[in-house]
Amino acid sequence: MEVQKEAQRIMTLSVWKMYHSRMQRGGLRLHRSLQLSLVMRSARELYLSAKVEAHEPGAPLPPARSPDPRLHPREAEAAAEAALLDGEQSSPEPMDTQEAPRAEEPPARCAPRPAKVSRKRRSSSLSDGGDAGLVPSKKARLEEEEEGASSELRDRLQPPAQAEGAFPNLARVLQRRFSGLLNCSPAAPPTAPPACEAKPVCRPADSMLNVLVRAVVAF
Amino acid sequence: MNCPDESTYGNKADIISTVEFNHTGELLATGDKGGRVVIFQREQESKNQVHRRGEYNVYSTFQSHEPEFDYLKSLEIEEKINKIRWLPQQNAAYFLLSTNDKTVKLWKVSERDKRPEGYNLKDEEGRLRDPATITTLRVPVLRPMDLMVEATPRRVFANAHTYHINSISVNSDYETYMSADDLRINLWNFEITNQSFNIVDIKPANMEELTEVITAAEFHPHHCNTFVYSSSKGTIRLCDMRASALCDRHTKFFEEPEDPSNRSFFSEIISSISDVKFSHSGRYIMTRDYLTVKVWDLNMENRPMETYQVHDYLRSKLCSLYENDCIFDKFECVWNGSDSVIMTGSYNNFFRMFDRNTKRDVTLEASRENSKPRAILKPRKVCVGGKRRKDEISVDSLDFSKKILHTAWHPSENIIAVAATNNLYIFQDKVN
Repeated sequence: MEVQKEAQRIMTLSVWKMYHSRMQRGGLRLHRSLQLSLVMRSARELYLSAKVEAHEPGAPLPPARSPDPRLHPREAEAAAEAALLDGEQSSPEPMDTQEAPRAEEPPARCAPRPAKVSRKRRSSSLSDGGDAGLVPSKKARLEEEEEGASSELRDRLQPPAQAEGAFPNLARVLQRRFSGLLNCSPAAPPTAPPACEAKPVCRPADSMLNVLVRAVVAF
Repeated sequence: MNCPDESTYGNKADIISTVEFNHTGELLATGDKGGRVVIFQREQESKNQVHRRGEYNVYSTFQSHEPEFDYLKSLEIEEKINKIRWLPQQNAAYFLLSTNDKTVKLWKVSERDKRPEGYNLKDEEGRLRDPATITTLRVPVLRPMDLMVEATPRRVFANAHTYHINSISVNSDYETYMSADDLRINLWNFEITNQSFNIVDIKPANMEELTEVITAAEFHPHHCNTFVYSSSKGTIRLCDMRASALCDRHTKFFEEPEDPSNRSFFSEIISSISDVKFSHSGRYIMTRDYLTVKVWDLNMENRPMETYQVHDYLRSKLCSLYENDCIFDKFECVWNGSDSVIMTGSYNNFFRMFDRNTKRDVTLEASRENSKPRAILKPRKVCVGGKRRKDEISVDSLDFSKKILHTAWHPSENIIAVAATNNLYIFQDKVN
C-alpha cells in the first residue's frame, strides 16, 4: 500500500513537472521530457504491480521464465491502442515544437493535452459512480497495458538486492509478484470483456488510477 | 531538501553557465544566463611583485546573445550561454565560439591601443572643419591611447538546430567545428554560415519511438576525423567521419553493463551522461553521470577503466532529488593538463578532485568565508551516517541550491576556475 501510494505520488509529481516544463522559457526540452516520461512509466508500472500485490497477498506462484505467448499479441494490441488513443485525442498544439509532445506519449501513454479535455474530465471523473460508462474502455486498456507493462518490466528489471533506493520493499514485491501478473488468469482470452472478474486489476473502484490517467491525458 | 528560490542569490541573469580557459591559459571566459560573456586575462608576472602570481582581471565584457522569439513556434529562445569554446590563437586577436540554445556565434576579441590623431579635414572632436579654414596639409599619426578591448561578432551560425544545442567543439584542423543538439550533430566550416553538414541524426522516423537523446559531443584533440558523443542512456559512441558522410553508425560503442545491485527506480535517469571530455593525450575519455565520473580507455568498450564516486551518499536520496529537480542537474568534468587529475562539482558548493595515479581524492568548498586571498582551502568531508565528527557536514545539511556545475582547469598549470552560481572562484597552487 505504501509502495502504491508512493508510486501514485511520483506519477502526480511527474505530470505536474511535465506541465510545468512547458511554461519554462526556452520551451519544452526534449531530454527533460524524456526523463520525466521514463519516471512516469516506472511509477505506473510500480503502481500497477503494487496493486496486484495488494490484491493477492501471500499467495506463492511459480516463476514463469518463458515468455507468455499471449503477451506478444497483447503488446501489439497495447501499442495499437496507444496509437489509437493518440490519434483520437491529439490536437495540434500551436504553442509547441511538433515533435516534443509526441516523445512523451509512448513511454507512459500520458501526453500533455489541451486544456479543453480537462474540462470534460472534471465533469465525469469526480462523480463517484458517474464514470461507469467510461470505465469499460479504461479497463480493457488497463488490462492490456498491464500485461504489456509486466512483460516489459520483467525483461528490464532485476529486483535490487540492497535496501538502498527509493523503494526498499520494491525488491521483495516484484520478486514475489512478477509471475503472479502473468499467471493471474490463464483461462481468460486476450480481449476479455470488461466485466471479467477473474483479473484482479480490472477493478471498477479504481477511480484514482482513472483520475490519474485522465489527469495526465488532460495535460 | 528544498531548493530556495534562486532570486535570493542575486540576479538570476548573473548565474554563470559556462567557464573555459583558452589554449594558453592566458584568458578565461565565462558565459552567463543573461547572455553575457566576461573574459579575464592573467596579469603578466613581474619580477618586482613575486607574490602576485599572475592574477586574473576582467579583460572584456560583451553581450553575446539576446533573447529571441521564434514566431513560428511561439517559443522564446533563451539567451543563456550554454558553451564557450576558444579557437587557437593565430594572430594578435582572440577568437571564441559562444552558443545559446539555437545559435552559435564567432566572436573576435581584439585590442586597440593606438588612435589616429591629427586629421586634415576634422577637428579634435571629430567634427568636419570648414574647408575655408584649412590652409595646411596634415597627415594623421597614430598615438597611444588607453587600451581598449573590443569584441565583434564575426560570424553567426543560425537556423541549423531544431532542438536545443548542448555542445560545441572545435576541430583540430581549426577550420571546422561541430554543434550538437538533442538529436543531431552538425559540422560547420568557420567561413560558411549559411550551410552546415549533418553528421549525426538519431531522430527516429516515429518520435514515439524515441528512447535516447544526445547529451554531449567532442572532437578528438588530434585526429580531426574522430569525435565522440554521449547519450541519455549512459552510452558513448565514437565516430569516424571518413567512414561515411552520415555517422549514424558508430566505430566504437562504450557502455558499461548495469550493476543489478544498484538498480533503483531512478536508475535510468541518473545514468544519463551530462558531459564527455577527451583527455589531452587523446587516449581516454571521461564521462560524468549524476553520481559518478568514469574514465574510459578508447581501446576498451565494454567497461570503463576507472570509476570515481562523486557523491554516492545521494543514492538513497534520489526521490527527494527528483522532487526538487536536482536529479536533472548536468555536472561537467575536466582534466588537468597532464591528465593525472580529474575534477568535477557537487552540491553545497563542493567540488571534488581525483588523482588517478595515487587514487586519492579531495573535497573542497568554494565559498566566500573560506576564500580569503592566499588562504589555503581546507578539505571537506560529508558524514554519511553515524556519528558526525567536528567539521563534517551531514548529508541532510547540504545546500542543494548551491551547486557547482561548471569548472575549468588551466591547460598547463595548477590553476582552476570554479563557478558557484553567480560567483567565479579562481584557485591556484600554493606558492612556496
